[in-house]
Amino acid sequence: MFWVQTSGFGLRMLIYLPIAEMTVHAEAILLLGAAVGFLSGVFGVGGGFLTTPLLIFMGMPPDVAVGTQANQLVAVSTNGMLSHWRKGNVDVKLALVMFSGSLAGTFAGILLFRMIQYFGQSDLIIPILYIILLSTMGTLMLSESVMAAMKKTKKEGRARLRHHPFFQALPYKMRFPRSRLYVSAFLPAGIGFVGGILVSVLGVGGGFILVPAMIYLLGMPPLLVAGTSMFQILLTSIIATIAHAFTSHTVDLMLAAILIAGGVAGAQAGVKVARRIKSVYARILLALMLLIVSFQLAGTLLIKPDDVYSVSVAL
Amino acid sequence: MRKILIIALVLLASWPAQAAVPDLNINLTDDHVDITAGFNGERLTLFGVRRDKGDIAIVVRGPGASVTVRRKEPVLGLWMNRESVTFENVPLYYDMAMSGPLKRIAGPDVLAGHEIGLSNMQFRYTGQEEEGVVDRFREVLIRNRQEHGLFPLEPRRIKFLDGNFFRADFYLPPDVPTGIYTIDAYLFRDGGITSLKQATLRVAQVGFNADLYNFANKGALLYGLAAVFLAFGTGWAAHYLLRRD
Repeated sequence: MFWVQTSGFGLRMLIYLPIAEMTVHAEAILLLGAAVGFLSGVFGVGGGFLTTPLLIFMGMPPDVAVGTQANQLVAVSTNGMLSHWRKGNVDVKLALVMFSGSLAGTFAGILLFRMIQYFGQSDLIIPILYIILLSTMGTLMLSESVMAAMKKTKKEGRARLRHHPFFQALPYKMRFPRSRLYVSAFLPAGIGFVGGILVSVLGVGGGFILVPAMIYLLGMPPLLVAGTSMFQILLTSIIATIAHAFTSHTVDLMLAAILIAGGVAGAQAGVKVARRIKSVYARILLALMLLIVSFQLAGTLLIKPDDVYSVSVAL
Repeated sequence: MRKILIIALVLLASWPAQAAVPDLNINLTDDHVDITAGFNGERLTLFGVRRDKGDIAIVVRGPGASVTVRRKEPVLGLWMNRESVTFENVPLYYDMAMSGPLKRIAGPDVLAGHEIGLSNMQFRYTGQEEEGVVDRFREVLIRNRQEHGLFPLEPRRIKFLDGNFFRADFYLPPDVPTGIYTIDAYLFRDGGITSLKQATLRVAQVGFNADLYNFANKGALLYGLAAVFLAFGTGWAAHYLLRRD
């Protein structure tokens, strides 16, 4: 069934993807899945901010990259979430409130995306949105976690932003016993809403914004953050996968299977590493990674590209 | 009535002579290319025979699509897409084989009329109207297709096996677009076309790949649910199989 050939060193496995309708190197996709799965295990982020651009860079049609990536997120977040679940590190109630906001955000995001397409510069606006998001989150996280690492505080910089008068004044306060929080439901739902917009506009799970928001905005115990955000991402990615498959037929099961195979292996290793390193250092690493990706993207806009022409085929 | 009879008789007398002994005949070794999960490009072989000692050109054209070429320009320091030209009817695959140099075979008008040769392809376009700009974008399009192995860098040679019996080899790369391909074979005499033969080739996914493709397109909701179920199941199984504690 597969065409396996040996050339030079190692094994090259070419595989034809039925939905993307192109041939790819299976081992490259496997490696990509593993790397992203590893990150999700360590940081509790989905890694979509890396998968989607890399798949597109490999020549995948962007809509197939986004749709399939949602499917692989289901597997990676299930796997990662279960490890936290067994240790009781998932606040289900909080995740469900966030998910309700995320659903609304997903639909708002679809409208927003149509608007961007209407003005025709999605090539420009999408990278700019990525850059703003990644660099802001990266800078905030980096400064906070470096400070925390230097002070070596036990609290690990558990922020008190939710005590800001604005957040205190929000109605519909709810108790989240697992996280020992008493905050307005609008706060977690609002975070989920932003996450939902990211899913439909940028095709990313939004873990890189959920995690810091839950730490700094909600003031959740850091131990619960990874598991809870992953549970929320699982719910959102299930909805996103079905939506992509139903509306645009862009979920490639073959591609997803390879990404997932790499992803679960990577996630397993990631969770083990996460147990060994202090969460402060993990946050510093994640912050640096967000900054590197944002610099990379900024480079594509600011530096003269090798080829100023681009060719796209409409099928 | 009589007139009709005469016309019929004349047709009868003249038609079989041409049809029974064609000047040119071609035959593909396979009239379909099957794309399976292991598809890694495929060779395409065509045999033919000519009655006449004229030159031959064979053109393979893939299904058409509209292709947009965009050019980035700096605006306030940001490189963004500015000008764009959308070419309509662009064949997604194009290759040709000839028995001799293109210039010797026929005059530019004949070649242009039948779109033989990369420079003779007629693309309809929308967008930027300036001719110089359109020509440059056209060159970019052809160069891009060549880089993907979907347009030829130079025409292939037709090999004569035995006098008038010939063979032409083409190659479909791994990323070949699916659809119906047409193969036109032309026989030339004194710079004009004396005979034309056509064949079609079907390039499609088969087997498991085709099943998946059809499932995704015809049972979309079920496909989505299946995708979620499989991913969830894999994540779940992996967790319980791989955990050590």
